Amino acid sequence: MVKLTIDHNPVEVQEGISVMEAAAILGISIPSMCFRPGLTNHPSCMVCLVKDLDRDHLVPSCAMPVSEGMNILTNSPEVTEARREALELLLSDHVGDCEAPCRLSCPAFMDIPLMNRLIAKGDFDQALRIVREEIALPLILGFICPAPCEKACKRKALDHAVSICLLKRSSALFGKPETSGLSEIPVNNGKKVAIIGTGPAGLSAAFYLLRSGHSCVLFDQHEKAGGAMQYEIPEDRLPKDMLDDEIGTIRKMGAEFRLGVMITREIFQNSILPGFDAAILATGSLKSVIDNAFGIQPDAHGVFIDKKNFTTTIPGVFACGNIIREQKMAVHSVAQGKMAAKQVERFLGTSKPTRKPIKFNSVAGHLSEPELKEYLKESIPDDRVEPVDGFLAGLTKEEAMHEALRCLHCDCRKPVSCKLRIYAEEYDVNRRRFAGQDRKQLTRSVQHELLVYEAEKCIRCGLCVEITEKHGESIGLGFAGRGFDVRISVPFDENIKEALTITAKECVESCPTGALAFKDTEERSSI
Amino acid sequence: MELNNLNITEKTDLIVARHGTTSDVVIPILQDIQSEFNYLPEPALKRVCDTTEITPAQICGISTFYTQFRHQPAGKHRISVCTGTACHVKGALFVYEAFRRELKLAEDGDTDASMNFTIEKIACLGCCTLAPVVRIDEVTYGHVVPEQAGEILRDFLLKRDTGISTVPADTFDHKKSQGEIRIGLGSCCVASGSADVKMQLEKTIAQSKIRVNVQQVGCVGICNQVPIMEIIKPGENPAFYAKIKPEEVREVLLSHFTPEGYINRFKTGFYNLFETLLADGAPRSFRKYLGEQRDTPLSGFLLPQVNIATENRGVANPIDLDGYRRSGGFEPLRKCLSGMSPQEVIDEINASGLRGRGGAGFPSGKKWQLVKDQEATEKFVICNGDEGDPGAFMDRMLLESYPFRIIEGMLIAGYATGASHGIFYIRAEYPLAVIRIGEAIRICQENKIIGNSVFESTFSFDIRIFGGAGAFVCGEETALIASVEGKRGTPRMRPPYPAVHGLWDKPTLINNTETFSLVPWIINHGAQAFSKIGTSGSKGTKVFALAGKVKRGGLIEVPMGVTIRQIVEEIGGGIAGDKKFKAVQIGGPSGGCLPASAADMPVDFEALREAGTMMGSGGLIVLDETDCMVDIAYYFLSFTQNQSCGRCTFCRIGTRRMLEILEKIRSGDGKQEDLENLEKLAHSTAMGSLCGLGKTAPNPVLTTLHYFRGEYEAHLNGLCPSGKCLPLIRYEVTDECIGCTKCAQRCPSEAIAFKPYEKHEIDVEKCIKCDICRQVCPANSIMIR
Repeated sequence: MVKLTIDHNPVEVQEGISVMEAAAILGISIPSMCFRPGLTNHPSCMVCLVKDLDRDHLVPSCAMPVSEGMNILTNSPEVTEARREALELLLSDHVGDCEAPCRLSCPAFMDIPLMNRLIAKGDFDQALRIVREEIALPLILGFICPAPCEKACKRKALDHAVSICLLKRSSALFGKPETSGLSEIPVNNGKKVAIIGTGPAGLSAAFYLLRSGHSCVLFDQHEKAGGAMQYEIPEDRLPKDMLDDEIGTIRKMGAEFRLGVMITREIFQNSILPGFDAAILATGSLKSVIDNAFGIQPDAHGVFIDKKNFTTTIPGVFACGNIIREQKMAVHSVAQGKMAAKQVERFLGTSKPTRKPIKFNSVAGHLSEPELKEYLKESIPDDRVEPVDGFLAGLTKEEAMHEALRCLHCDCRKPVSCKLRIYAEEYDVNRRRFAGQDRKQLTRSVQHELLVYEAEKCIRCGLCVEITEKHGESIGLGFAGRGFDVRISVPFDENIKEALTITAKECVESCPTGALAFKDTEERSSI
Repeated sequence: MELNNLNITEKTDLIVARHGTTSDVVIPILQDIQSEFNYLPEPALKRVCDTTEITPAQICGISTFYTQFRHQPAGKHRISVCTGTACHVKGALFVYEAFRRELKLAEDGDTDASMNFTIEKIACLGCCTLAPVVRIDEVTYGHVVPEQAGEILRDFLLKRDTGISTVPADTFDHKKSQGEIRIGLGSCCVASGSADVKMQLEKTIAQSKIRVNVQQVGCVGICNQVPIMEIIKPGENPAFYAKIKPEEVREVLLSHFTPEGYINRFKTGFYNLFETLLADGAPRSFRKYLGEQRDTPLSGFLLPQVNIATENRGVANPIDLDGYRRSGGFEPLRKCLSGMSPQEVIDEINASGLRGRGGAGFPSGKKWQLVKDQEATEKFVICNGDEGDPGAFMDRMLLESYPFRIIEGMLIAGYATGASHGIFYIRAEYPLAVIRIGEAIRICQENKIIGNSVFESTFSFDIRIFGGAGAFVCGEETALIASVEGKRGTPRMRPPYPAVHGLWDKPTLINNTETFSLVPWIINHGAQAFSKIGTSGSKGTKVFALAGKVKRGGLIEVPMGVTIRQIVEEIGGGIAGDKKFKAVQIGGPSGGCLPASAADMPVDFEALREAGTMMGSGGLIVLDETDCMVDIAYYFLSFTQNQSCGRCTFCRIGTRRMLEILEKIRSGDGKQEDLENLEKLAHSTAMGSLCGLGKTAPNPVLTTLHYFRGEYEAHLNGLCPSGKCLPLIRYEVTDECIGCTKCAQRCPSEAIAFKPYEKHEIDVEKCIKCDICRQVCPANSIMIR
């Protein structure tokens, strides 16, 4: 047995284990990327650095064996900074997008590439389900959204952006609503929420609250639901039957609409506040709040609404949509409706535990011509499909499926499990701090039926090299080159299919980043 | 010749048959394939994989790791432009570019259209005193100036058939001899033409029938005066002839020795007179100095030195075993084998205070003890001769000149630690060292000094050579071991140390060449004699390769504790060309720059480390006021960056980012925050890298930032105070111009119009800053602004 001290805690451990393993015994977890039990464990990423106080050195804890009297610090500012710098250096040489640029530019963070992949397979039901995770009103937005996503689409550099907005409409038109949240409504949880206003924000909030088991009553001064979408958008932009259809879906989910009701201050104070567990103001006008129509008083700083959390100065009363910010795009309001619903759930204690959303994003930027060719390997060369029967008719099923094939799949296949992203988030790194002068050119190897290899996401840990060697792959993977130019490649430029015959799965699972990823994996990230 | 696959297969099979089929022979096999085909044809590599245990991943990994290997056919002749430190500060890049222009190479090509020449930069040829140096195949050209590029290529093609051969060892005939002539045949000497001098000497002796022994000796150390010839005649003081030329040999020889027989003498005298008359008026290049004479450049150079590793310097024929024995060689080994237990030997080494000369200065006795204390059926002793630092040639000189001494040191170490196998790891760029050591091993085997029962004792020890393949990082002991095992030269985590888990997991002692070469002396003279020399923490002597802007460069051995100023001023004779002493770069890419104001620092492991530099393996480059410290930092970092194995994050990416920041600063685009980021990265790379290469790579940056921060700041303001950083300078003609048109004739980019008797002008747009005009101008009228 060996006695040592880790973070001032004495511990006695078995001889021969690593500092990292000894720390784990004390419940101290140390980040690591290149470490994998059962392999020779040759430290390279340097994310697991700890301080050896006696030798005044930073040492990789994954490979440093414990020794008698050792005095280790795992959590000093120096250690944290060194780990952060290691991550920043790795990121300076890491080319790829954690999330596709279309998704990042969507105010609702809709998972566009996944929707495209599902539509391409003809699975409109699943596509609609994915769309509805972020967008409650895909049919309506499929007509009126100005589609910021398409402006960010990397395909534009080649010919034209993928027709994302119309594809989203197709998912709503051809996907069965039952599969998109309606059949999953849990038992009513007894909580009642009043929603004032039935524009995109109000409807969206209602959708998500209903879906998580709340009762919702929607109030609107007009005779018909829909707000500006009902009364301001002309028929040739948004056919009324489409609008009513989507509102009908929410009605079918159990929403109660009280239309033609003007909510006065009295009604709000006397009926709504006492009669409901929470209320959401989605009237589309900040004036209604400032004019004190709902009796909301400003706080010491003169603020009525916390725009980040959608709370007002009255507990249990929330606000979203144009009240927060005057905006032209309905998709903003739809996104806020969802976020306000989440705040309501948090307030009511009805929210399900969710994973902490990741804010960190690696961004590759513009694709060069050769890079576009690499990305085309998973796409088709055809230009954008324009619907034969015009904008109002939209894409046919076949057209949609063909158009969806045009997606370049800029998103990473491991947005959740990538350790580089997880630690980048945890260590609050600045990925531009050590940015190099020229970024490396992206490549994508897709010949293998199970996996995709994107070399520029690789951190050169060599786990895959060792795995192929260990299992006696006749070709396997190997290191090539030296120094900054070292890369993992298939010897003699053979087909990666021949290189990974029995080890593909283990290699992908060991790969700490998205460099090696399963083709059909869909990790779901959220914001 | 067209290579067909069948041809390749047959030849590859022969090569494999020579080396065997185990996976550890991959490097020797690749070396042979390359020397057979001039590059590595893919079918040959695949054939190796098919017929041996070597895997595709291994062979591709190895062949792309070591710089010696190439995957494209090379030209018939290889031009290696040395870009070592000494060459760098003397304008090697200008030379490199001049050769590229001369060969009309495409921007990304390295071979000319006719496949005659392939050009490469090489980290260091180890001929620093002849800088800048260019080697074409086996022919080395020293003091090259850019405008000579074409001339050198023509000279090479002309000379290649006459063939300068490695001269075989001579036999002695002491009885009849009238005296002895010693001529240095180290790499520097050969490069400066000593082989031609020797040929002329032999011719003259044969013609004039003078009875004299010609003794070829190893490196004399006075590399700044080569070729050097020493004449020893009974009853006379030895006389040195420095910088001697073949055409001067006859005259020198006849002034000392009388030819046999009267008629012969007359003939020779007459001939001699005639020749001298003809040569009259021609400048005499050689200088004669008497051995005991003081106040000559030679005595200044030699007297402050203490020769232990270089004992008998300039006297001994490197591969003359009898000579080595006559001077007491192999007696220390015999003493160990017959009268000392292994522990007593280690105690002696411990008591001497000997520390490893490879750079870090780890106590050698402690290392030996660790190996001895391991229980194992097999142990190894490795001599680390993978000297790859630009600006260092100590190991090369020791290996070339004192092979028996190093072998003896290894044998003693083997006896003390209980090892039975020795390996010389010698870098690829030192062909002469490989030949000499190989020859010395063969001689030792024949004389039963190596092999079973050394000197009839129970101690058995064999030695083989492993040729490095071009990777500086293999100087790191765990990377060196990986390399010998047939792997990429990637350092691994220590502990475990090689002393416990080394080559093939067996206890392994790795010492630097110089360390081994000190061992016989310590055993012979006793620990006390050694520890009397030096400082309290650093005992004995240190060999340095002194080069750069000193008057007298060369290989020197000084007692620890002498100051850097003594080395520069007394041994080196001060700065050449009336320039001001600015700094020394000590320790190569792992070391740092010390300003002239800190030159009173003693040569001592701890003192140097505290100053931010380190002893390193002993490169010592002197810099003058025309050297830019940002450029120097960039130079060293670009070397280490290029040599990083690429395994750990800080070294692989950190050094690259640092280099990019330096490049920005050098180009005048740097900002204050770049300096801060540079410093930050330098600190974390030093702290967070796995091996010595990464940990010390930032030293040149950190020391220059520390001592010369003002120069960095000047660059931020768009000014290179020393006029070195090309993006920040321009060439101009001053009013001193005499209108001789030399610059216009030589300008490779037509930036200077031909205007006889008028002041010339440089077109800044066309100027490629090759420096040729400034070098050829007889009136010193080209200025850098």
